[in-house]
Amino acid sequence: MDDGLPLLKGTLDLLVLKTLSWGPMHGYAIATWLEERSDGTLGVDDSALYQALQRMEGRGWLAAEWGTTDNNRRARYYKLTAAGRRRLRDESATWMRYTQSVSSILSLASRTA
Amino acid sequence: MRDAPKYRRLFELRLGGARRSALDMDLEIESHIAMRIADLVRQGMTPEAARIAALARFGNFDAARARLQAGAYQRDKMLSHRDRLGAVLADVRYAVRQARRTPGFVAAVVITLALGIGANTAMFSIVDRLLFRAPAMLRNPSLTHRIYVADAYRGQTSYSAYIPYAQYIDFTNSTTAFRRFAQVNEVDLPIGAGAETRQMQVGVVTASFFDFFDAPPVLGRYYTPAEDRPPNGTPVAVLSYGLWQTRYGGARNVLGASIEIGATTYAIIGVAPRGFVGLWPGSPPAAFVPLAAYAPEISARMLGSGDRWWTTYGFTWAKVIAERKPTVSLATATADLSRAYARSYQAATATNPRMQPLALDRPRGIVASIISERGPNESNTAKVAMWITGVAVLVWLIACANVANLLLTRALRRRREIAVRLALGVSRARLASQLLIESFLFALGGGVIGVVVAQSGGALLRTQFLSGDARPAVTTDGRTLLYAGAAALLGGLLAGFAPLLQTQRVDLVGDLKAGVREGTYQQSRLRVVLLVLQGALSVVLLVGAGLFVRSLQEVNAVPLGFDATHVLTIDLAMRGVALDSAREIALRQRLLDAAGSIPDVTSATRQLSVPFLSHWAVQLYVPGIDSVARLGQFELNAVSSDYFKTMGTRIIVGRGIGEADRDGSPRAMVVSQSMARMLWPGGNPIGQCVRVQADTAPCTYVVGVADDIKAREIDNDPGLFYYLSAAQFHPDAGGLFVRTRGPAKDVQEEIRTHLQRVMPGMSYVEVWPMSELVDEQSRSWRLGATMFVVFGSLALLIAAIGLYSVIAYNVAQRTHELGVRAALGARIHDLMRLVVREAMQVAVLGVALGTATALVASPWVAPLLFRESPRDPWVFGIVAGVLFVVAALASFLPAQRAARADPMRALRSD
Repeated sequence: MDDGLPLLKGTLDLLVLKTLSWGPMHGYAIATWLEERSDGTLGVDDSALYQALQRMEGRGWLAAEWGTTDNNRRARYYKLTAAGRRRLRDESATWMRYTQSVSSILSLASRTA
Repeated sequence: MRDAPKYRRLFELRLGGARRSALDMDLEIESHIAMRIADLVRQGMTPEAARIAALARFGNFDAARARLQAGAYQRDKMLSHRDRLGAVLADVRYAVRQARRTPGFVAAVVITLALGIGANTAMFSIVDRLLFRAPAMLRNPSLTHRIYVADAYRGQTSYSAYIPYAQYIDFTNSTTAFRRFAQVNEVDLPIGAGAETRQMQVGVVTASFFDFFDAPPVLGRYYTPAEDRPPNGTPVAVLSYGLWQTRYGGARNVLGASIEIGATTYAIIGVAPRGFVGLWPGSPPAAFVPLAAYAPEISARMLGSGDRWWTTYGFTWAKVIAERKPTVSLATATADLSRAYARSYQAATATNPRMQPLALDRPRGIVASIISERGPNESNTAKVAMWITGVAVLVWLIACANVANLLLTRALRRRREIAVRLALGVSRARLASQLLIESFLFALGGGVIGVVVAQSGGALLRTQFLSGDARPAVTTDGRTLLYAGAAALLGGLLAGFAPLLQTQRVDLVGDLKAGVREGTYQQSRLRVVLLVLQGALSVVLLVGAGLFVRSLQEVNAVPLGFDATHVLTIDLAMRGVALDSAREIALRQRLLDAAGSIPDVTSATRQLSVPFLSHWAVQLYVPGIDSVARLGQFELNAVSSDYFKTMGTRIIVGRGIGEADRDGSPRAMVVSQSMARMLWPGGNPIGQCVRVQADTAPCTYVVGVADDIKAREIDNDPGLFYYLSAAQFHPDAGGLFVRTRGPAKDVQEEIRTHLQRVMPGMSYVEVWPMSELVDEQSRSWRLGATMFVVFGSLALLIAAIGLYSVIAYNVAQRTHELGVRAALGARIHDLMRLVVREAMQVAVLGVALGTATALVASPWVAPLLFRESPRDPWVFGIVAGVLFVVAALASFLPAQRAARADPMRALRSD
């Protein structure tokens, strides 16, 4: 994915949590879901995605279990835990505040320039 | 596939954790790539190109795979930790829920544990200080020793801690195993002058003493070897932090000020740090002075003019401590010291030919623990403390047995619940861990409350064993808390073990089939055994209590021949004030007058000796008796007119010493009844002539006979005692006895202040209640009685709680059965008897076992008792009675409940 935008540190976790808030998904589904919603602008390295999943599962934000896909393929399904839901709420609020203040400053700067 | 889970577990077990995680990860990556390929192929790629593209999305695929496998292992480890923690938390929550449902049960368990742990913690804090804890701030506690010497005298080995200064110098010079020596003593000396004078402990130590400690002075410095050099040293003193604070308000300009200690005035050169007590945590010194500066003061009184204190081997008054080199073993050090001692002994024999020859004496040096109670001369207090510790451990065992019993009872009640949970698939290990966690929670609660109990209730124990600042605070002491924690955990583990055994025997089908009320009424042999053991241990402790209380009664019932509670003893300390004989006599008369003018004093008298403290004996010659000395030791007191009134000693025949028996008049003597009988059996003692001190002395005539008094010991005192007139025998020596209106202790300070005004110069009076000296005589029995009564009652209380809860539980279990009995016509009376009988059976067995144990132990207890047989049938009878009454009481409430058993409800239920 050399043509996508590089992800800011920590945003991948947030995006994965948001993705899973729609329901349990396996890793590949998360990857394609993210690509489709961002029209391919967000470049997600598959290896980085799985590392994020491992990290968050270890912390107890996600729970996983093996299941079967529509095409009868075995896959590991991830879902949000209560802690993960809380985390998503807190992190998205922080992110919103952060981006709002950054963009307000940026828009201010462009007007005076 | 009924067996699938079993195979899977087998499979999981076979694979190591890391390998299983890696395998899982591979499966996940594989399925991911397969799906990606399928999508790409659907978009028109060739399978070959799609595969390459899919792998490329992982970057360097092999590296990514390895990284993910490692990550998966990390994740799985974290998850399994989380699972375990979650299980524990769930168990804790479950236990708390259970506890909330049965507050009475929880209270019984926690209180029982708290009592057991509290008793032990309190005793530990004492024994630890007495026997295990080295003095604070020692540089190398394990290398620091007290030095003793052992000599054989007439086949008997005696150990001495007191070593002559010359020998201490010999040890220092001719040993190689030690890094340093110091000579030390703690002396009770007056500090200050005039009305401010107080008797305090003073550390009289060589300059080397401070090198043993890591305790830099907070102000100034310690003294140097140059200031501690014989013959006189330099009069410099180091204050304790406490004295600096109380007497000088912590002022920094205290350095250079002078302070009177004993007969010498010292210059203050330093202040020791807070908490520095030298070797005496039980009686912290108020100041430290150079040994060489104090030695002349004490040797002036004790030594002949030809002897010098620093070279003579015939004068011992201080002890020696040493620090062993770390590379030298204890055995080598002992051998080294023994060699030095033998050499020194030989040198001593050269200066004093009357000493026993070396070969006979077999001198040995002993390198002992720095804690004096662990040295060769351990004190009675330490022995009693060890006994009481044993008792405390018994109480703890009783408490554990009790808690085990309570838990067991409940485990039985929960049989059905446990069976249901097992049936639902909870593993036995999980169940066991749950029970253990419950036990630990109980132990935690018991431990916390136990420490509180030890802190508050333990104050009583500590005042009995320890003195002064040594009273430890339990809650702030790490070692004591550690001990309490260990006692609590071990208790929880022991107690938790019993119900664990029970769960291993759960009969799933049977228990599930049984109704709620069912199992129905199960006698558990283990529970009965535990109850009987508790009863038996209580009996043992109560018998001990009974024996000590009887001993104490016996001690107190011994007629002393005088009344101690209302008498104060007054002694004079002249501290360098030299008076001629006439002035000494006048001073005593002034004191007598001053005492007489105090409203709280009813009478006062002079004295030359104090019962249980100081003794006078001189040769007596009686016409018609060859050798009076062979008849026994006759002790005397020289008193003035109000003596017998003041002491409350009865005159049987004749009169007491009176005003008329002054200097120059005929010499008068009052003898004790036993002395009269011994010297003039059958005859009339009045008017008999006794020559005192020399057979050429003029006659002293017996003017009266008084009651016997105890002056040496409470037991076996022959009572051979006589009184002379103070005006006629050493009129310039001795002190006073004062009789007070109320208890003597209450007016002690008032009287001291009054009398102190009469004292000239730096001299001062010491006042203390006579009762202290008498109490000291019965101390070990009082200690034993107090402790056994406290712990015995504790044991009984715990046993009663145990018995009550088990009986109550049984009654609850038998509601159905009792109802049926009631329906069939059993009377209330019969039902109650049924329940009480069960408790009584336990009590009978407990009493039997406890009595047998106490009888077996009696030979060891006998030497601790006073005129009391360790098999006293009264004590055993009363204890048995008490146990039966308690058992009856403990079963009475449940029995009443049993009596109310309602046949209809019992039959309808379930």
